[in-house]
Amino acid sequence: MEVKILKETTETVVMIEGRVDTVTAPELHEQVSPLWNEAGITLVFDCEKLEYVSSSGLRIILSTHKMVTAKGGKFILRHLTAEVRSVFELTGFSRILTIQ
Amino acid sequence: MEKTLVLQNEIPEISKLALFIDELGEELGLSPELVFNLNLVLEEAVSNVILYAYPKGEHENISLTAKKTENQLLFVLTDTGKEFDPTQMPDADVNLAAEDRQIGGLGIFLIRQIMNQVEYQRIDGRNVLTLGKDL
Repeated sequence: MEVKILKETTETVVMIEGRVDTVTAPELHEQVSPLWNEAGITLVFDCEKLEYVSSSGLRIILSTHKMVTAKGGKFILRHLTAEVRSVFELTGFSRILTIQ
Repeated sequence: MEKTLVLQNEIPEISKLALFIDELGEELGLSPELVFNLNLVLEEAVSNVILYAYPKGEHENISLTAKKTENQLLFVLTDTGKEFDPTQMPDADVNLAAEDRQIGGLGIFLIRQIMNQVEYQRIDGRNVLTLGKDL
């Protein structure tokens, strides 16, 4: 898994590439959790190159949504592949999160 | 067709599991979606064992056997850890609003959603979890 964080003028984009599983999820958590403290942030997870996400990754996504919105921010998921999207549908995440 | 993978109870071993499932998918010509879903299910089951079945520092093997019959893929996961029946775990409630959603409980929910057969047995001091997927 590789994570790149791009701070743009109106939003912060986290590009996630590869697999988010039980092995790599702690690293994703370490990289994104500092962003939870930025009040009013618009945080985007760009999942175009996200090949796989297990429940350990889904937990980080849910935590990110809760923490960002609690501080008045917006959390957006962008460019989900068909397989990743189907996991979001199966778990009901597609109904509670903003997906573009 | 029958294949067995033996893993140690350590988190980095999950990477071997992913390779095992990819190979299985190639051998059997499974769809990318099914390979993805099997990855999800087996990672949940195996990581549960790695994280919770043994005291810290105790090194044990976990065995996963994959078998294909005419119309079913069958996985049997065996470990010698403490007795744990994942089929008794409550599902996450996937209909709640984001604020009310619990962080845990998704693993067993995914297993039940994706697989057609989920059975647990305790046999001779071993946990035996059988997971079947109709083809």
